[in-house]
Amino acid sequence: MILIIGGRYQGKLDFARERFALSDGDILVCDEGSGVLDFDKRCLAYLDRYALGRVRAGEEPVNALKANMERLSDAVLITTDISCGVVPVDPVVRAWRDACGRMNNCLARQADEVWRLFCGIPQRLK
Amino acid sequence: MSTFISGGCKNGKSFFAQRIAKAGGTPLYYIATMIPRDGEDEERIRRHRNERAGWGFETLECGRDILACLSRADPRGAFLLDSVTALLSNEMFDASGVHPRAAQKIACELAEFVRRAPNTVLVSDFIYSDAAIYDPLTEAYRAGLAHIDRRLARCCDNVLEVVSGQIIVHKGGVPL
Repeated sequence: MILIIGGRYQGKLDFARERFALSDGDILVCDEGSGVLDFDKRCLAYLDRYALGRVRAGEEPVNALKANMERLSDAVLITTDISCGVVPVDPVVRAWRDACGRMNNCLARQADEVWRLFCGIPQRLK
Repeated sequence: MSTFISGGCKNGKSFFAQRIAKAGGTPLYYIATMIPRDGEDEERIRRHRNERAGWGFETLECGRDILACLSRADPRGAFLLDSVTALLSNEMFDASGVHPRAAQKIACELAEFVRRAPNTVLVSDFIYSDAAIYDPLTEAYRAGLAHIDRRLARCCDNVLEVVSGQIIVHKGGVPL
């Protein structure tokens, strides 16, 4: 499993496409409406947006990922780091931020490689 | 040698940027990008001027169309541009409205600036890792600044992130 993190607009997906030779068909671009993830895709992009939809629905986003860890063993997972701002006033956004932290930590523990993108430049953390 | 610096606010970016620029030789120029809009801005500018006093900077006022200031300076000198963030807000939002292509324009101009004045230090702000859900205009501003940052990260010799006064080298090294 490969995990790619970084701030918004830092070039995470561009890096993933190039480094892991992904084509459009390999990539699931998640949004808030992605209730069920397609674990047959090689790359799940923007798990933070998936997480926002799940939090709005009252679910814990990391659960579906934990339940499918084996199917993710060769996956490239992309998630935005949203952890560095002020504690959000909105309770849903606050819950989303916490859920993303739990999800990212869980994925980073399982991942064989963890990459962080900064202004388009990759750095391998694990 | 050109250096791009980013990181969170109040982490020490400007301090390192000043040191790196000063190590780059003379003449030494500070490009003042802030266009004051109220008393608070004027106070901030006054504080920054005091912080720079004694460093030997000549100040070039240039809040937009950044290549223009090269006609008032020796391009072989050392330049400090602090900050890219202010430059984008000046050009993207002004009295005549919102200019959605400002980031593309600035990215090209700054790449050209670094080509003509290779001894330049540029400072930006890392505004990409909070959990706020922004309005489309703020989101466009964040995307625009990231576009400029990534262009500068490609064309500068050094790319540095400053965290709590410590430097993480993402490209090149620390030219001190």
